[in-house]
Order: sequence, then C-alpha cells, then structure tokens
Amino acid sequence: MSQEPRDLRAINAGQSVADDATRLEGLEKATGAARYGRDQIKKDMLWVRLIRCPWGRASLDSLDRDAALATPGVVEVVVSGDAGEYHGDSIGYVVARSRRSLERGLQALNATWTRLDCKTGILDDESARGPMEEPSDQTASAIDDAAFTFEATYSTPVQTHSSLETHGLMIEPDGENSIVHASTQGTFVVADQIGRFLGKRRSRITVDCEHVGGGFGSKFQIGKEGAAGGLAAKSSGEAVYSFCDREEEHLDTGNRPGLLCKVRLGHDADGTIRGARFETFGGTGVSSRGGGARVPSGRFEFGTLDARNHRDVQFNAGGPRAMRAPGCPQGAFVEELLIDEIAHRCGQDPLDLRRRLDDSDRRQEMYDVAADLIGWKNRLKTGSQSGTMRTGYGIGTCDWGKGRAPAKIEVVVHPDGHLEVRTGTQDIGTGQRTAMGALVADRIGVPLANVSVAIGNSKLPPGPASGGSVCTPSTAPAAMAAGDLARERILAGVAEREKLDATTLTIDDGVIMDGGRKVVRWEDACRRLSEPVSVTGEFDGRASAYWGEGSSEGVQAARVEVDCETGQVFVRDVIAIQSCGLPLVRKTAESQIMGGVIQGTSYALFEEQVLDPNTGAVLNANLESYKILGSEDCPRIIPVLWRDDQTGVRALGEPPVIPTAAAIANAVFNAIGRPVRDLPLRPDRVLAALAEPMAEQVVAVAPRTTDRETRA
Amino acid sequence: MNPFAYTSPKNISEASALTTPKGEFALPVLKGGGMDLLDRMKEGLESPDLVIDLTRIDDPALDAIETNRVGGRVTLAMLAESDELHQSVPILGAAAGSAATPQVRNVATVAGNLLQETRCWYWRMSQFDCLRKTGDECPAREGDHRFHVIFQDGPCLMVHPSNLAPAMYVLDGEVEVAGGDRDRIAIRDLYPAPDADWRSTSVLSPAEIITGLRFKSAPNSAFIALKQKQSFDWPMVSGYAVLKLDGDVITSARTCAGAVAPRPHPLPQVDEALVGVSIDDDARLRAACERSIEGADPLPGSAYKTALLPVAIRRAVAAAANPTGTDRGGDA
Repeated sequence: MSQEPRDLRAINAGQSVADDATRLEGLEKATGAARYGRDQIKKDMLWVRLIRCPWGRASLDSLDRDAALATPGVVEVVVSGDAGEYHGDSIGYVVARSRRSLERGLQALNATWTRLDCKTGILDDESARGPMEEPSDQTASAIDDAAFTFEATYSTPVQTHSSLETHGLMIEPDGENSIVHASTQGTFVVADQIGRFLGKRRSRITVDCEHVGGGFGSKFQIGKEGAAGGLAAKSSGEAVYSFCDREEEHLDTGNRPGLLCKVRLGHDADGTIRGARFETFGGTGVSSRGGGARVPSGRFEFGTLDARNHRDVQFNAGGPRAMRAPGCPQGAFVEELLIDEIAHRCGQDPLDLRRRLDDSDRRQEMYDVAADLIGWKNRLKTGSQSGTMRTGYGIGTCDWGKGRAPAKIEVVVHPDGHLEVRTGTQDIGTGQRTAMGALVADRIGVPLANVSVAIGNSKLPPGPASGGSVCTPSTAPAAMAAGDLARERILAGVAEREKLDATTLTIDDGVIMDGGRKVVRWEDACRRLSEPVSVTGEFDGRASAYWGEGSSEGVQAARVEVDCETGQVFVRDVIAIQSCGLPLVRKTAESQIMGGVIQGTSYALFEEQVLDPNTGAVLNANLESYKILGSEDCPRIIPVLWRDDQTGVRALGEPPVIPTAAAIANAVFNAIGRPVRDLPLRPDRVLAALAEPMAEQVVAVAPRTTDRETRA
Repeated sequence: MNPFAYTSPKNISEASALTTPKGEFALPVLKGGGMDLLDRMKEGLESPDLVIDLTRIDDPALDAIETNRVGGRVTLAMLAESDELHQSVPILGAAAGSAATPQVRNVATVAGNLLQETRCWYWRMSQFDCLRKTGDECPAREGDHRFHVIFQDGPCLMVHPSNLAPAMYVLDGEVEVAGGDRDRIAIRDLYPAPDADWRSTSVLSPAEIITGLRFKSAPNSAFIALKQKQSFDWPMVSGYAVLKLDGDVITSARTCAGAVAPRPHPLPQVDEALVGVSIDDDARLRAACERSIEGADPLPGSAYKTALLPVAIRRAVAAAANPTGTDRGGDA
C-alpha cells in the first residue's frame, strides 16, 4: 500500500445520495438512550429460561419439578422432553417472577443427565473422511486432457453470529392486544409467527423493534426462546421477558456451518482449468439441511465441471441458520485459494490468472484499482521470502444477486414542513433508517434535518425482512416513489396558488423554484396545508421505474505480515471495492463494507466453535474463548464505493463479507509459500504449513498467453 | 449467580477475621477487583454467601507504588502506567499491560492477578467434574487441549493464568501476607507443588491476604507474550527474562515461561547456557533458548507451543538487553 493515508472522502465523495449524512439514531445509540428489545425490562414481568442439555447427547435421568414449583417466585415449569441431542438443546422451560427466582427455580429443578456417545463434526462422517468419488466421464476426460492434475481438501469452521443483542423478545399485554418487543430482522415475520403461541390473531399483535442489535441472518424466526415466551404470556396473561444469555446465544441461535471441500481439477501450463470436480460436506448439527456452500461461485471459468456434489452431515451440535452471505465466504475461501495455488503452480501472478478466468468487466476494472491501492507492485513472488516477518498480498472477489420483495413506504408531510417517513421494516444496525430518510429528503429536495423516520413496527407500512440483502434495494424504490408523490402534491398546491405550471417547479435545498426564480420556502408552502398529507410509495417486487440498473460486485485486496517463527498472522491493510448500484448514505455504506471486512478478518484468523470431541459440549460458548477480532487485530480498511452509470439501489449488506477471508488466505500463501487450507489461519496451522515443503511449481516461468493482449 | 451478603471491612485484620465461616455465612470469599471472582460466580463454580470486599480498606500502603514494592491492591493499569517502574523494572508494567482489556486492567489488582484461577475451559465449565474438582479424570487429556500444558508437571494439565507470577519468579519476588502467622512468602513457594495439594490455587490459608509484592530492580528485564489475538487474549506462550550484562555479554540470566505448565515454569538450564553469551551472538542465543523445551512432554494438541517457547524466551532476552526499545504494554 502506498504510504500516504488515503482520504476516504476523496475516494468516495459524490458517489452517494447523501455524502455527509450521519446515522439518524447515532446519538441515541452512543448515549444509551436507544431502547432495544433486550432493554424492555419492567418491574412486573415474568422471566423465562429454557431447560437445556449440558452435553452433546444425553438422556434426562431426573428432575424435581415439585421443588422447582415450590421455589418462591416460580410460576410455571414446563417439561416436554427427556433427551437432548446437542449442548443447548431444550426440554422445557421455567417461568418466574424475577431473574433470581428463575435461577433458584432452575437450581431446585436439579436436572441430572446421563451422557451418551455423540458425533462432533463433519469428519465423523465416513464419506467425508474417505477419498473423492470419481468424476463423471465428461469431467474425468477434461481433467485427463489437461497437462496437470491437482487435488486438495479445504475446510472452514463453525462461525457463530454472536449478536451483541442476544435473541429474544418481551411481550406486553395491552388490553386484548399484545405488544411484542422483539430482537428481530423480520418485524412482520415475528407478527406472523408469535400469534400461534400467544393464541392471538395477527390483528391483535403489534411487533416493535425500533432498535435491533445485530442479526446477521439468525433472527428471522422467533426461536425456541420466543416460542416459550409466547406460551408463557398466553398462560399467564402477564408481561413476559424471554431473552437468551450470552452462553445460550452461542449454543442455540444458529451458526455459519463448517465446510469440508475436496477438489480435483486438471489445468494446463498457462493456468487454464480444463475440468474440475468439487465435493462439499456441510456440517448441519442436528438440522437436516442448511450446510450448503457456494463453490464454485460461477465467477471463474473451471471448464467442464462436476459441481453440486453436496452432502449435509449431521452431528450433535446446534443447527445452522443463514449467516451473512450464507455459504459464500467459505466457498470463496476454497475457490480463491485454489486459484492462487494454480497460479503458483504455473508461475503466474494470481491477479493475471484471475483476469483471464473472470469475465466480469466491472471486476476487471476493480482489479486494477485494488492492485494500485494495495501496492500489488510490491508483492514478491510466492515463497521467495526467507526472513522472520514475511509480507503477503492476496485478492478475493464477490458478486451478489438482485433479490427483491414488495415494500411500501408512507411519507407524511406535516403543515410545519416536517416529513415523517414511515416503514415497518427494521433497521438491524445497517443504516436502513438513515438511508430511507436521506432518500426521501433527496427526492423532495429538502435537508435531512426536515425528516424523521418511524421504523420497525408492524403497524407501519409493510416491507421485507433484512435478509438476502434485499431490504434497501426493495424499500428504496418505494421511498423514491413516496418522495416523488409528496413533492408533486406540495408543488401542485403551490402551482395552483401561484398560477404556475407545476411541471416547471423544482425544490432545491428546501426552496421551491420556478426556473431560476425563488417561489416560496418549503415550510411556507406546507403551512398552507389544513392537515397532514399522507402518500404511500409502493414497490411490487417486480417492475418499477425506480428499480434501475445496478449490480453488486466486489474485489478485495489484503496485505498481511506473517511471523514465521510464531505462525501469527497480522492483517495490515484491506482494500474493499464494492459496487452496490446507487449508494444511499456514504458513511453507512462505508460502514457496511468495513463491517464485512472486520467480520471476514475475524473469520479468517480467529473464529471457530470448539466442540469437546468426547462429550460434544461447546467449550467456548462465551466471548472470551470464542475469539473475535479486537481493535488491535483490525486492519486498516479502505472501503471503495464503486459507482459507474448505475442508478438502481442494490445489495450491500452481504457481499463485502465474502472475499475477505479468501484474500487473507491468499496473502498468507504468498508470504510463506505454502497454502493453509483450513480456516481459521491459527498459528499452529501456519507453523505446520511452514514445516511442509514449499508449494510445488509445475511450470517455472509463466508461458506467454495472448489472452490479456486480446482483452486489452 | 446466587444471592450473597456483601461487606466492606475498613482494615485488613477485620477482613481476615471475616473469612472464618461462622453463623449464617458458611462460604465467605475475599474480593479484590473481583474480575475473576465474578466470572467464577457466574459460571456456577463458586457460590459464596459472603463477599468480603477489600477495596474500601483504608490503607495507603495497599495502593502504593515504590521502587521495589507495590501494594496488593494496585491495579494492572496503574502498574502498566508507572514511569518509575518502567525504568527500574520494565518487565512488570509490560506483563501487567498485556493482560485482558483496558476495562479489566482498570479494576483488576496485582494480588488478584497472582491468585486468579486457571482459564482451562474444562475447569471453567460446571458440567465437567475434572481432576482439579472432585473427578477422577482430566477431560483435557483426551479432549481439546490446545491451550494446555507442554510440561506435564503433575496430574492437572491446566496452565497457570497469571501474567505477573512468572515476572515475579525472575525478579526473585516475595509477596507480603497478612492474616496468618507469616509476613512474607517467596513467590516460588506461593503455588502448591505438584506432589502437594495441587488442587489449591495457592498455599495461602483462607484468612491470608496478599498486601504487597516485593521485587528487586531489574532494568534489563522484559516480557513477551505470544498471543493469537492482540486484543484481549491469553498468551499461547509467554517468555520472561532478567539479565545482568557486562557490555554486550550476559553475566547472569533468569528466565521463566508462562502458559506452558500448571505453575510458572523457570528455565535454569537456559539461565546457565546464557551466561557468557554476547547478545549479538545470534547462534549461541538461539542454542541457549532452544534448551527451554528440555523436558517438555506436550500433548498432541499443544505441541505447537514447543515451537513457540524458544522464540518467546529469545525475544524476551533480546528485549531485556535493550529495554528502551520495548513496548510499555497496554494492549487494547
């Protein structure tokens, strides 16, 4: 990387709808005034805690229900099972009047268990341990036709979501109705799901999630803790609080599943891949599905391909849930490291090989910018360094689809000129609230200070859950439409009063203009309203003039230093280039990218759920031993908002987490000359790799190819 | 966590007297900063019915930092930030500043650091009845022991968690003790021997309270922690060195290893091999520090630590020879 720090503003200025807007709820969050679901602690409410299995697999021997019920403050003990299939599995729940009586009740319950044999990982599966299956005839012949064959196995760990606000909800009775304060990424999903447990119709339920402390894909469902909370609220008719504690958050709220991937391929001396077979094994714990990985991704040319040879492997652990770009970071790690290994075998620069294998024109341009910003020219040949501290450079890529869902946004124009943007969809920390406010303000032509946003309530206009990175892309067309409708309504009134042509009127920074002439201030125009004006913009999920052009593609480049005496990896710089169509708010968009890089770096170096191989107990269900990147481990991150002629709003939440671990793994390979094919890149693994011979090269000097000249 | 009574005595002897179980209080416990105690209570490992808080005791000596002594209640942050100690005994501030997080260091005391419990994840989980509790087998032996010993010094495979204890070893330190019939205990006698009551945290009786740490000056001293994460992590291995130099030549050395054995692990064979070696003689330094793993008997999952230990010791020796070039500590 060049030595001078790059000014983010200079790189990203002018690319977004709102360049300088800050998070609307930033002050509330920074001062602690923001009330999350988990903060909804009332004096008179019931507390719920699940009765959980302490081992990977166990049968319940005994419990003393009477003693628990006799504990002062305990109001209900529900036991519905007598066996646990994983650490954290639940067999019932206890309801009590205080946290203390709840804990005493659980102690009095005194559940005793007999531990049973269990399976603790993908490698407990015979076919995962065994050799690869033979490729199909077509692929086998493509591999055979190639000059060289290559075979390797890669693995990734279980990553838990570790939401700062744990999973759960608080239910408050309100006459015949219920208010549900939920920590969720799906306001309307909770409204649909909780009624069954509460025994109430959907119309009697209001879900409130004004602030949500993270989700990453694990908060689409109400979960067991939510279901128990609903049942307790139904049976008691009282307010009920049911949130996981930190340990439960690690044990039973989903995870990014581990992956084992075997690859065999045939390549030519110039790195061209003629054919490949990928076999993937996803660890799904006790779930029967959800272990899939996106590998190969389709971004690179692999010739004749045997893909989708996937098998979900069950064992005694909590099941997966969607996690930020499900299946993608693990797939990218395999695919991108594989490409760098092929490049090295053929004596090629891995960036050059990517340029040949990748047919995205946008990423071709991104490669150049990433290489410039990271200082790719300083990259030494893989395996050529010999000192203690070795520097490496690596690249990773991503792409994301164009998912969309129906959404409505209401804009209310008040007679004082204030605009209220109303949207039931939630803001899980992504900046959704600010994006909607800024977009409406921009469409109308007034400062963001005129706008407030009501968000995260099922009585507000409906919108999608925060998943698949569809939330902003789907709500943005509705917000644009609502903003335009509101503007047109006010301008029509002004035109009528002033006897002007409404189509020639514009609004610039809160002033209504006719050509170059100032007509009236926005506030003064609104003062003529006898009552608030409400308009609703709608996106039907299919077609809209506001959908526009755009796509989400990205390239990341990492620079690492590896201490070859200790195996420690230090990630120094990450350049994260990301297109997302039209970025809405510069700062929150940059923040999304940086958050993806931070989570990806943490995944690359540290995070892994550790199961005791004998008992299946999770040994690190806490934020001490489940290691997450801290401030001193954080690289310098340069997020680059890539904007060409795109006008539509596209996905930004998930794609930036995809390439990071891959880029870091490639940088480590470049530094030490041996691939580390298992995440996380722990010191013991780096040291073990260093003890191996240098990665093989089958072609010492890259053969001349004509492809790049052709492309140029 | 269970309910408990709380008391904050005004002097040490009162605090010490309160540790005797009587009346309704069968399980009294002393609390300094309370960082580890709170963890143990939340983990269900301890359920004291009386918490005796030492932080209100009115005795300036408990908080004093002097050239060769610090009070037992001095926090890790105070130790890490002391300019005077950074000159005279840099190893202490470096070790203190590398522990945990700024928030923890602002509360955790030096006495508490010496007496904290192991981080062994089996011991920390109440469902495992390990050897160190009342069980008859060590779940780490056939389990996941990546953070465990390479020197099997007794039946328990835990590593000692204190950053400061090995530093006190190489400084030939002593702890001041009140509440019993002795005033001082050499640091090397503070922890139970493998053939003695090895389940105990220390040899102190329940009534004994560490009121201060005494140590010699050692301007040529250094601490190196090799951690997986640089923010908030326990070391995989740590190295400690105190040197005396004549010019560039080492005339005496005291080294010790952390996070590799149930107690701080002194390395007399390294100390001996370092004498007469020039700090610029890389080959001889390496050879001397390689001897740090003599006698190592690692577990399959902890074997990587045998590669780390000689590095940690060598880097500590190099840093001790050039103390002005070393970090003050203070990781985030």
